[in-house]
Amino acid sequence: MIQLTNVSKIYPNGARALVDITINIGKGEFVFLVGPSGAGKSTLIRLLYREEAPTRGQVVINNKNLVRLKDREVPYHRRNIGVIFQDFKLLPNKTVLENVAFALEVIGVSRREVQRRSREATEMVGLAEKEKSFSHQLSGGEQQRVCVARAIVNNPALLIADEPTGNLDHDTAWGIMDLLKSINKLGTTVIMATHAREIVNKMQKRVIAIESGRMVRDEEKGVYGNYA
Amino acid sequence: MLNTLRYILRETFNSVKRNPWLSMASILTVMVSLVILGFSTFFLINASNLAKTFESELEIAVFLQKNMTVQQIKDLQAKIEQLPGVASVLFISQDQALVEISQILGGDQSNIIADLGGTNPLPDKFTVKVIEAQDVPNVAGQLALPGVNKVRYGQEFIEQLLKFTEWLRWVGIVVIIAFAVASIVLISINIKMNVFSRRREIQIMKLVGASNSFIRWPFFTEGMILGLIGGGLAAIIVGFAYQWLVLYIQATVAFLPVVHNNLIFWQVITGLFLSGMAIGAIGSAISLRKFLQV
Ligand SMILES: Nc1ncnc2c1ncn2[C@@H]1O[C@H](COP(=O)(O)OP(=O)(O)O)[C@@H](O)[C@H]1O
Ligand SMILES: [Mg+2]
Repeated sequence: MIQLTNVSKIYPNGARALVDITINIGKGEFVFLVGPSGAGKSTLIRLLYREEAPTRGQVVINNKNLVRLKDREVPYHRRNIGVIFQDFKLLPNKTVLENVAFALEVIGVSRREVQRRSREATEMVGLAEKEKSFSHQLSGGEQQRVCVARAIVNNPALLIADEPTGNLDHDTAWGIMDLLKSINKLGTTVIMATHAREIVNKMQKRVIAIESGRMVRDEEKGVYGNYA
Repeated sequence: MLNTLRYILRETFNSVKRNPWLSMASILTVMVSLVILGFSTFFLINASNLAKTFESELEIAVFLQKNMTVQQIKDLQAKIEQLPGVASVLFISQDQALVEISQILGGDQSNIIADLGGTNPLPDKFTVKVIEAQDVPNVAGQLALPGVNKVRYGQEFIEQLLKFTEWLRWVGIVVIIAFAVASIVLISINIKMNVFSRRREIQIMKLVGASNSFIRWPFFTEGMILGLIGGGLAAIIVGFAYQWLVLYIQATVAFLPVVHNNLIFWQVITGLFLSGMAIGAIGSAISLRKFLQV
């Protein structure tokens, strides 16, 4: 489903964020992306939903080469991908339900469908009772779950999460992990960048480790490793 | 499609609600610009009407030699009427000329003749009107026919008037263009500020896969609606002010010809309305052209 071939990314300021990365990820996999802070995890994720383009190499998702994607095709590519952002990226003046519905409205889904599907997603993340709350009235974990609901409301084939448990306490973090696991069971490919050693070690999923932009390890049922 | 339309209208409304001052500023700038545009237009229409009125009243005086027979005068009149550019030729005999003068001076004809030494010193003359004011010097040059003593016309006055109306037209056009550009710039700044205040929302829209046109449309319609409101207000202000001004001028300086033509009036008013919309559309198009990269 995802093929990165000899991918390098050098930012305009000269930072070498990724160096010659080659990865294949199949449909329905659950993959952890680990590595110390500044290793290049977020950069790799940004390549997948085309917020950034690689400096060298090819990124192919669902047989679409993102390097050759035209600007006006980018939105349609993103509609197949759900992204859970580390900083949530919720709209403060919208309610939980509106934030989730937003992702459907802006791609032109009919009103009734928007209502039905955003309710469904909000229920799935366990926020049905808070659907009328504004995002600033929610706890960090709840906000993160709104973000998950918004990422999955469009039934994407690929779900990407950038440190989705970063600021959460142990129980809340596992709540999010349970959500991701169940979404993955339904057939969605999940890629998750993380710092959470305990979670990676317990989940027993594929682990790809990056250090200073280089891929240093790719293991099935891997462990976190010796990072901070 | 319908969902998208509903979304656009709701977003436009929300944005006006969210930034009432910004929206008000946009509307006011468009309004002020178009009020000036409206008044310049009416001023220009009237100026050119005034110029035309004067131009059409310009005539050439052709003084005849003494002792011409009635037949000679008739032949000469026929010849002048044949000249290209001539609209009409009116014969005024020396007796008629004397009547005119005595009316102006307010005295008795015989007294005037007596004062002038017993004979009527005025020559017979033709009053020649031309079709196009700028042809006056040209036509006058062709009037040096046998039997013609002198040709007189207000050459300098005509030339100055023509120069002035021409100048007025250009100044009007420049002023109108300057103000149109100013209001376009202001609208585009306002839309840019709107975009800026909603950049977070826009970023998220992009990340969840909204197409660029989908993001652009609400801003575009917003600019258009703001321009439309500004244009509408300007149309109302200019419309009422002009009606009032026409009545006022007619009541006080009655001889000044003012254009009071319903068709022209409504054309200008509709024009202001549409210009508002166009200014809004152009302004937002300019501000939205570049901001949507990524
Ligand atoms: N937008 C950017 N512009 C310039 N350099 C960047 C940018 N984003 C990240 N970097 C640099 O690229 C490297 C990798 O960053 P990042 O992908 O955020 O790592 P991680 O997510 O693993 O912490 C770092 O050295 C960082 O400073
Ligand atoms: Mg990161």
